[in-house]
Amino acid sequence: MIDFTLIFRILVFPGFTFILLLTLFCDWMERKIEARLQNRVGPMVAGPGGILQPLADFIKLLTKEDITPREAKKTVFKFAPLVAFTIMVFAFCFIPVDGASVLSVNGFSGDLIVILAFATIANFLLFLAGWASCNPYGTIGSARVLTQFLGYDIPLFLIALTPAFIAGSLSIATIASSQVIPFILLAPWAFVLFIITMQAELEKDPFDVPHAESELVGGLETEYTGAKLAFLHLTRDVQVVFGSALVVELFLGGPYGPVFFGASWFWYTLWFVLKLLVVVTITEYITCVFARFRIDQVLSGNWRILLPAALLSLMLTVALVTWVYPLVV
Amino acid sequence: MPNSNIDMISLIKSKFGDKVQIQLGKLGAATITVNNGLHRDVLQSMIEADEKTGITAITGLDLGANIGVYYHVHTSNVFVTIKAEVPKENPKIQTIVDLHPGAAFHELEVADLLGVVFEGHPTLGHFVLSENWPQGVYPLRKDVKASEVKLVPTPPSEEIKLPENERLVKIIIGPQHPALLEPEKFAVTVDGEIVTKVEPRIGYVHRGIEKATESRTYLQDVYLVERICGICNSIHACGFVEAVEKILKTEVPPRAKYLRVVALELNRLHSHLLTLGHAGLEIGYETLFQYFWRDREPIMDLIELTSGNRVYSSLMTIGGVRRDIKETDVPKIKATLKDLRGKLPFYRQIYENEPTLRLRMKNVGVLKREDALKLSVVGPVARGSGVDIDVRKDEPYEAYGEIPFKEIVYTTGDTWARMNVRMDEVEESINIIEYAVDHLPSGPFRIDTPRSVPAGEAVNRVEAPRGELFYYVKSNGTDMPDRVKVRTPTFANIPSFLKTAIGESIADVPANFVSLDPCFSCTDR
Amino acid sequence: MTDIKTWARVKSPWVLHFNSGACNGCDIEIVALLTPKYDVERFGVKLEPSPRHADVLLVTGCVTQQCAERLKSIYDQMPQPKFVVAIGACACSGGVFEGNYNVVGGVDKVIPVTAYIPGCPPRPEAMLDGVVKLLNALNPPKAKKQPKPAKEPEVAKPEVVVAHAAQPVVEEVKPIAKQ
Repeated sequence: MIDFTLIFRILVFPGFTFILLLTLFCDWMERKIEARLQNRVGPMVAGPGGILQPLADFIKLLTKEDITPREAKKTVFKFAPLVAFTIMVFAFCFIPVDGASVLSVNGFSGDLIVILAFATIANFLLFLAGWASCNPYGTIGSARVLTQFLGYDIPLFLIALTPAFIAGSLSIATIASSQVIPFILLAPWAFVLFIITMQAELEKDPFDVPHAESELVGGLETEYTGAKLAFLHLTRDVQVVFGSALVVELFLGGPYGPVFFGASWFWYTLWFVLKLLVVVTITEYITCVFARFRIDQVLSGNWRILLPAALLSLMLTVALVTWVYPLVV
Repeated sequence: MPNSNIDMISLIKSKFGDKVQIQLGKLGAATITVNNGLHRDVLQSMIEADEKTGITAITGLDLGANIGVYYHVHTSNVFVTIKAEVPKENPKIQTIVDLHPGAAFHELEVADLLGVVFEGHPTLGHFVLSENWPQGVYPLRKDVKASEVKLVPTPPSEEIKLPENERLVKIIIGPQHPALLEPEKFAVTVDGEIVTKVEPRIGYVHRGIEKATESRTYLQDVYLVERICGICNSIHACGFVEAVEKILKTEVPPRAKYLRVVALELNRLHSHLLTLGHAGLEIGYETLFQYFWRDREPIMDLIELTSGNRVYSSLMTIGGVRRDIKETDVPKIKATLKDLRGKLPFYRQIYENEPTLRLRMKNVGVLKREDALKLSVVGPVARGSGVDIDVRKDEPYEAYGEIPFKEIVYTTGDTWARMNVRMDEVEESINIIEYAVDHLPSGPFRIDTPRSVPAGEAVNRVEAPRGELFYYVKSNGTDMPDRVKVRTPTFANIPSFLKTAIGESIADVPANFVSLDPCFSCTDR
Repeated sequence: MTDIKTWARVKSPWVLHFNSGACNGCDIEIVALLTPKYDVERFGVKLEPSPRHADVLLVTGCVTQQCAERLKSIYDQMPQPKFVVAIGACACSGGVFEGNYNVVGGVDKVIPVTAYIPGCPPRPEAMLDGVVKLLNALNPPKAKKQPKPAKEPEVAKPEVVVAHAAQPVVEEVKPIAKQ
């Protein structure tokens, strides 16, 4: 017996198609916000308000000639972008969008750790992709990706544990559904730290050293063309959406919100997307108002400031969960 | 500051007596003709007497049987030319790099274009010319015709020689690179992230303009030298035109002088705004870039209003300017400048207070005052390192002697200081333009000049946005010049980058480099 | 299917800028295109750092001896389909520098050129107009002519130095060269 609902959920909503459309939409949003903050108008002519711009870019890249450089490690060079993209989409499937994630209603205990691990693997594949291109800029760019995400993964995991402690569960669905008061109000410091770490993990300004055009040309993407480049771009965009979705689930109460006239899945999706867009706006704003750090400043910032702060945040949370929150909630 | 008001010429007279011939008032304050290696001794005594002594340029020129090598030397209060000649068959002359490191690039250029051998200065291959240029053919010699040069087939593209030490990696920046808007190559050797060596290769934009001027009339040359650089074009035209006027002994009408100042300062404004924004791009601060370039557009409109074209104003001509400013345009100019002045505090605050920007610019590429003097750097780079040189103040040309303005000097010598010099100069430029349009003298704005220029030679120094720009023009009585030598500010400033980049992170290279406001089309000509 | 392909190509031209010996005049005007007053991102134009990502190569300036080789290799690195736009009088023909000892000439002496935009420098509007006209030339007229977009790649496959592209789409855009 074939479970059509499951197939629909995986392929269309809230699975692959939804994720793809959401990603392209967020990409357009980012470009638009950036343009508006810089006194420009941004994409205008592809579709109404330029909303189809990311789609046009994607299709165009798919139809371009696909070049594999002679020196490149062919297998890794060819497959790394696609595999990274697949893993990111798979990780996204664990995030409850319409009140339930794609695969199961409540996920399982510990899926928070699993999806963070998936995100790390995807990052590692991106590093491999750059490394396999055997281009000096690509190699240096990917080496920077590696150093950066290895460093920032530790505080990211530690800070992600804060909401887990408050909710008393490592399952994302439970964490999201237990936020009667959104955790941003209970642990605002953790929210701020998480946004900063996320920014670094997603390699956005002021932490976008792996993409420093003035030093590294195209970074790890330098040698990529055509469809492979399209999937590299798409992986990046899914990462951004995934990171923002994580913020929504952990701190902003997940997809939950007021439900009118029954159809809860519709309202949950709406709340989820709206909250997601708020987070995207915040991160894009940060991107626009700062200059890029230097790689050594990025790394020392992590070990000297962010890691101790994450540990403190965790200790504070444990203390609060033990003695204070029981009085409030 | 020892002996800054010393009388250099009488010092040389007393020291060398009859061994040198001194002609007062030619090519600067004086021309000192020396022979047989005495140029080194003269220069040495000048350097000992005044710490601000530096080489502005070395002009090489074909004099028939001999090749002239003219050293243009500036001190804190005079500008002199030391003339030396070497026979064409055996063009050897002692190097001066050991006395003054700033002369290195000048000697390399003369060696490449005229075939003068500077003994003691190793010249390795071509410096300006392309790799496939034949050995032993020197384009600036009169007997070389462009059409007859047979290029040798290009040698196989230069292999990147791996450094012996395995820890070292060689990164090639350029010729096509997002950090450089123009093609030029810098081979940067890095140990981890630390730069240990920078090897420049210029000449990608070498178009042979100096040679081309010799086959065009003076009037055509005005437009040709303007096209040395698209950013600071007015100042190039002005430098050339003034040099020709010096040979003609023409006095430009006062209104033309003021109109020239307006054109030059508008040029400086747009150039400085461009660089301030571009620096933002290099440190990953795209918003800053967009803001600066947004506010640069009204200045481009002003240039268009006063000259008729956005980029190439083509305003300068021998004997004055080509276009007058209409009375009705003055309020428009003032309103635009007032707008810009209103926006400056915002930008100043960003440069002062933005933490990420300060992290990337403070203490990056520090050029000490001693090094700045030794390398003869010019313009905002020198003024950022506490060296107060500005031709507009030191040797006022056009109407600059009559217009009050401040000379901006910062002392920290880092990227941040250099950018702030430009920021403050934007304000000064606004003041100058406002003063100039308020005090425009009446009268004609151009006088007629003869087409042929009597035989003679002249040097001229002007302050381009990037620093001192030097022109040497030699005429031979016809309507075409005999030799035009241009020494552009970036050419003088690149050595400072080679020095400051070493020991810093590779990530600081773009920010450090853009703080010179490099212009390679100027550098290569 | 072809329609969608052409639509995507027209709406998303990523450009690479190469200065083959220009005076900076055209170059700053190209950069000015990205800034608030002109903002070419409206049309989906993005300035890309790597030749591998680009669809359109904007060349400014006369080609100098030293840049010729480099210009050709950058062109070869670009993936098909690709277009070359010569911007400014110098890139079109060599301009005032034609005949100098270190100058090869216009861009079309080295690589095939699809569109010429004369001017010294052309106004940013003129450049925009040129690029848009070039892209619109990709759009087949109402009667579905499939070969047009597919033909371009063939044009752009020079084995040796060619003087002109087989079918250059020459767009004379407001010549405002001054002298």
